[in-house]
Amino acid sequence: MSLLDVNQVSMHFGGIKAVTDFDLHLVPGELVGLIGPNGAGKTTVFNVITGVYQPTCGAVVLNSGDLSGKKPCRITQAGIARTFQNIRLFGSLSVLDNVKIAYHFHATHGVLASVLHGSKHFAGEEIITKKALELLDIFGLTPRKEEKARNLPYGEQRRLEIARALAARPQLLLLDEPAAGMNTNESRDLVRLIDWIHHEFGLTILLIEHHMDVVMSICRRIVVLDYGRIIAQGTPDEIRANPKVIEAYLGEEVSS
Amino acid sequence: MKNVSIRIMALCLVLALIVSLVGCTKAPVQTTVKEIVIGVVAPMTGDVATFGKSTRQGVELAVKQINDKGGINGSTVVIKAEDDKNDPVEAANAALKLISKDKVIGIVGSVASKCTLAAAPIAQSNKIPLISGTSTNEKVTQVGDFIFRACFIDPFQGLVMAKFASENLKKTTAAVLFDIDNDYTKGLAEQFKLNFEKMGGKVLAYETYGKGDQDFNAQLTKIKSFGPEILFLPDYYNTVGLIAKQARAQGIKAIFLGGDGWDSEDLVKIGGDAIEGGYFSNHYSPDSTSPEAVSFRSAYEAAFKATPDALAALAYDAANILMEGIKQAKTTDGTAVRNAMAGLKNFKAVSGNVSFDSNRNPIKGAVILKVQGGKQVFEAVINP
Amino acid sequence: MAGGCPRHFTNSQQEGRENLLFLQQLINGLQLGSIYALIALGYTMVYGIVRLINFAHGDIYMIGAYTGYMIATRLNWPFLPCLFAAMVFCAVLGMTIEKIAYRPLRSAPRIATLTTAIGVSLLLQNLVRYFIGPNYIPFPELFKRQSYVIYSAGSGLGLRTLTVSNIQIIVLVTALTLMFLLQFIVRKTKTGKAMRAVSFDKDAARLMGIDVDRIITITFAIGSSLAGAAGVLVGIAYPRIDPGMGVLAGLKAFVAAVLGGVGIIPGAMFGGLVMGSAETMVLAYGKSTYRDAIAFTILILILLFKPAGLFGKSVSEKV
Repeated sequence: MSLLDVNQVSMHFGGIKAVTDFDLHLVPGELVGLIGPNGAGKTTVFNVITGVYQPTCGAVVLNSGDLSGKKPCRITQAGIARTFQNIRLFGSLSVLDNVKIAYHFHATHGVLASVLHGSKHFAGEEIITKKALELLDIFGLTPRKEEKARNLPYGEQRRLEIARALAARPQLLLLDEPAAGMNTNESRDLVRLIDWIHHEFGLTILLIEHHMDVVMSICRRIVVLDYGRIIAQGTPDEIRANPKVIEAYLGEEVSS
Repeated sequence: MKNVSIRIMALCLVLALIVSLVGCTKAPVQTTVKEIVIGVVAPMTGDVATFGKSTRQGVELAVKQINDKGGINGSTVVIKAEDDKNDPVEAANAALKLISKDKVIGIVGSVASKCTLAAAPIAQSNKIPLISGTSTNEKVTQVGDFIFRACFIDPFQGLVMAKFASENLKKTTAAVLFDIDNDYTKGLAEQFKLNFEKMGGKVLAYETYGKGDQDFNAQLTKIKSFGPEILFLPDYYNTVGLIAKQARAQGIKAIFLGGDGWDSEDLVKIGGDAIEGGYFSNHYSPDSTSPEAVSFRSAYEAAFKATPDALAALAYDAANILMEGIKQAKTTDGTAVRNAMAGLKNFKAVSGNVSFDSNRNPIKGAVILKVQGGKQVFEAVINP
Repeated sequence: MAGGCPRHFTNSQQEGRENLLFLQQLINGLQLGSIYALIALGYTMVYGIVRLINFAHGDIYMIGAYTGYMIATRLNWPFLPCLFAAMVFCAVLGMTIEKIAYRPLRSAPRIATLTTAIGVSLLLQNLVRYFIGPNYIPFPELFKRQSYVIYSAGSGLGLRTLTVSNIQIIVLVTALTLMFLLQFIVRKTKTGKAMRAVSFDKDAARLMGIDVDRIITITFAIGSSLAGAAGVLVGIAYPRIDPGMGVLAGLKAFVAAVLGGVGIIPGAMFGGLVMGSAETMVLAYGKSTYRDAIAFTILILILLFKPAGLFGKSVSEKV
């Protein structure tokens, strides 16, 4: 039984066909890579899955539940969390609060309870703070917890984004180019981290990445997108050898 | 060429003659109408709506009494009323509508001087007599010889209160707080200061505020620092109530004085205890003992289930002065009515016997009322 | 001949009284300012979240005053329940307005929403004119006015005492309590954090499981309830209300919000208090005719020299 089914999804903006007949089925615990040249429609796929866009046709199904027409926040609450290609942290909030916000929809204390019933508020906050700190620990961000997110160095902001996504306690994690802008050392660390959380949290992960070494080293299955259509899928070795993929990436580094 | 132009001129003259003849033949038709229409301009809504209500009721009572006695020279009197919302633009529109559409013979109104000042030029240029019951600003009747009023004028109220403060209350220091945007309060303030100082008193502070202000703490703190015995507040009731409250809250102990703008039940509703012990000048007191005043009061109470205020009394007087003019003129021609009105001598009115001076301002006395136990109590009469 | 010494003495005495006068004026200014601040908070919160200058906000404040009036005259409730009821009513009103008037225009050009806001403002004013009446009405006395001398400086001419009235204390204490409560909600509760997250990046917030529509609704509710509270306080402090009372107060509160930096909550508080004090000082040391001019002078100066407001950082707007 699959965790996520993307069935025949097409996404058109006016006359532009960003994604056509996209099919994807993820079984629980899989780590799948989604690659393709710039403008192939990878982020559009993420936006359709997370409900930012309503697909022109087709459906997204999570745990046999249809996500069509649901608000993005409900989809997140249903178990899909993501990071962004260009970092979108809440810059004016502290590192800790960024993580706590994603935890909050699991919390039970409402705003009126917070104002009128102090003890419940503080008890609820305490639990969330504890959990958020555990996450920050994993990502090595505990010393930075009180700093504003926008003041963090780039690499730490990337890590914080993943931590924040994990705080939503997803079953499926969508990572949109987590290694973008990182040097080789940093991205190697990141690969280890992703691999670790994949196992530790028992997550299913869908990963968009340009760094081929990252994709090839951690994904068991890779889907290749070009001009909005799937042109190939398979194991890293199959993909490496696929002539269509080589053609699509002509002029781009395939194996570096 | 010359011939042609002379012929055209002659033709024009003949045409003009015909037109004027037609006009003449029409004129007698007007005098035999069974209805005499008089207009009322008053604020039925807006910030001083209670003024408009009293004014209208005063006019209605006067007209009803005349009609009950058979009307004016056999014609029934009809009222056409327009709301000016206490806005000069609305007042001018109202006057224009009454004159051009309703063909009124005379107008009673408006209440506030600023509105009457806007309506008066229209009445003047159409040669329709206009008489305001309560517009006390000097400039109102200076608009032209068709403009009258039934009340005394602003400077007189300033003088009355100055005289009352210095002669009756025997006080020597005062402060003045008034609305700089309003001619009425400004006129009273200026005259109070002038006359109070003339009588040997000292005006320690002379402070202002703007239209619609609600917070007077800054000015009152300043006034408090001078410690005056009298605080002169020549504004309308709703603002005076606010000022009085804030002044007492600051611990100002001065006696509050004011003008006829205080005359409303809402003064005590807004001002509460703070306004207790204040004095204001007025044109009329329901406790007045003249036969006209006594019969007016009982008729008014029977008709409207309320005690008449000065606005009602003055509107009643104004309507009666206008109707007396129409009666004496025996025509509805504006100029004739105007002349009859201007010629009235010691006309028996509710607020005192009225004669007009050369500026069509009545010559009469003023009453001083005290706010006591939430009511207006007759205190004294001050003569000019 | 008066010697140097006595003259010095009178000078310093004079100076002391001037200081006293200034302090008293400052107390007056804080009372007025705390009301502006409460209104300004709603402006700022709503702007922060949906980038909308809610021109109907001043009219919600007016409705708050009328609600207080209705409850106090019809039900004879005392101050606190009255205040609370007005806040609840305005909160519901604010949410309704958001839902009916603004939500359908969430993705419309800003000018459309702005025009709608002005329309809502006129609608509220005229509804009150129609159903309750266009005239000034006296607000019932919920407290007997009392004044306390908190400092006395002997005898002589000039201002000798520093006076505070119970009304001033009530207005100030209520306003400050509400402001701190708001600050607690925004800083410490999950809803408050969600508000800040939505204000920072709506789409990212959505994808972190935050129900953005709900947060916007709550923001309108809280902002409107503060305006409602301001309405009741103004009824107590200046007991004369009318359907047009929200227009100028709303404008001045808007200036206060801009002064502090639109979207910044402590900025709105500070801006409100500064506006109230500035107005009072203009009245105390200048001319009453400049009272309204000072608000708009401040607005122009801020827009010229510090468009992000005193508490704002100059950052280019996020789209």
